[in-house]
Amino acid sequence: MLKFADYGTFNGGDLMGVKYEAVLWNRQKKNYDIILWGMIFGILLVFGASQLFMHPQITAETLIIRATALTAFVLLHLILMIGPLARLDRRFLPLLYNRRHLGVSMFLVALVHGAFSIIQFHALGDVNPIVSVFTSNQNYQAISEFPFQILGFFALIILFVMAATSHDFWVKNLSPKIWKTLHMSVYIAYALLIAHVAKGALQYENHPVYWAILIIGFVAVAGLHLTAGVNEYKRLSKEKNAASKDGFVDIGSVNEIPDDCAKTVFINRENIAIFKYDGNISAVHNVCKHQMGPLGEGKIVDGCITCPWHGYQYLPQNGQAPSPFTETLHTYAVKVIGENVWVNPTPKPEGTFIEPAKMGQA
Amino acid sequence: MESLISSFLQFVLIYLILGLVFTIAFMSKGLSVVDEGTKETSWKFKLLILPGMLVFWPLFALKWKRSLK
Repeated sequence: MLKFADYGTFNGGDLMGVKYEAVLWNRQKKNYDIILWGMIFGILLVFGASQLFMHPQITAETLIIRATALTAFVLLHLILMIGPLARLDRRFLPLLYNRRHLGVSMFLVALVHGAFSIIQFHALGDVNPIVSVFTSNQNYQAISEFPFQILGFFALIILFVMAATSHDFWVKNLSPKIWKTLHMSVYIAYALLIAHVAKGALQYENHPVYWAILIIGFVAVAGLHLTAGVNEYKRLSKEKNAASKDGFVDIGSVNEIPDDCAKTVFINRENIAIFKYDGNISAVHNVCKHQMGPLGEGKIVDGCITCPWHGYQYLPQNGQAPSPFTETLHTYAVKVIGENVWVNPTPKPEGTFIEPAKMGQA
Repeated sequence: MESLISSFLQFVLIYLILGLVFTIAFMSKGLSVVDEGTKETSWKFKLLILPGMLVFWPLFALKWKRSLK
């Protein structure tokens, strides 16, 4: 039987679901959303108050348009930075696991901005407001007067499709590969929005500080992606040159693996997660059968490897999901020599029991 | 330009209306056939996937058709 549900189990209290739920709430998700919406209203209020202070004559519509634009843009930057931050430092992983809520929230704020902008600037004439977005300014060849609203419009469409397909149901029915590709289009939306802001708001509010903020945001996003990519490349190169003997590869000291957590390695194109628990070491394929989640970023909960994305669980010794579930993972032979862990990257058939290596064994 | 965009918007509108009609029928009879995980799911779940269904409904029409064979 297949199991698809949107939940997290880091507190170890949830069970695998057998059917979809709208949202399977847990304590972490509730806290995450409380903090997220607190932050959203905080930005809206602080920015709104500063606008009222600087422009006392500002209309409510303009205030809403500006405040929601800034809030959505800040949230988009956060969304784009969470991925590389989590790769650089595991302490950011909890932000990654609930990123969907952040994405949908960002879209809702952006939708308010888009709706108010269209009403304010395009709904008062006799032309269809959406048609007016495309036709009111046709200086497509101009640089300084380019119709920037179109850029925002297309970005909003992309963000809509992403938000509308954020549930697990879509991962399964579109296939994980297509779903992932679809959601990578957030980078197209980001590029469109950078141009939307540069050609729109910053043409009117052209104080250097606004340009500096836009550039700093872009540099932060690009820099984090670049740093995480370089780190990943270095790690892969190191693993490629690791010592090997009798088919086993030295993956480093056992002390590098935190208790009840894993170290992940790529060897011979095998994506392997090596877990340390109760004085034992076991290795399994690093990809969850549910939605290709990174098992190596999960923890051992109640004796089971627990996927950080949705809480799917597997026994570390044989890669089998606990009964009554039937998913199985490839397992890998491991041994501990001195202080170092050695893994054989040839995968055993899925669900094969392998005696865990004991820490401290010679 | 204006007539071209108006025509395209009309096409999009018709596509979405067809999607809504299809989705209403699909959610009552075809959804659980195409995906077993949707059996006995709540109206909140169906509401949550509704916007995406309006976009991707031809995919589910194909899946439903295949499942009937």
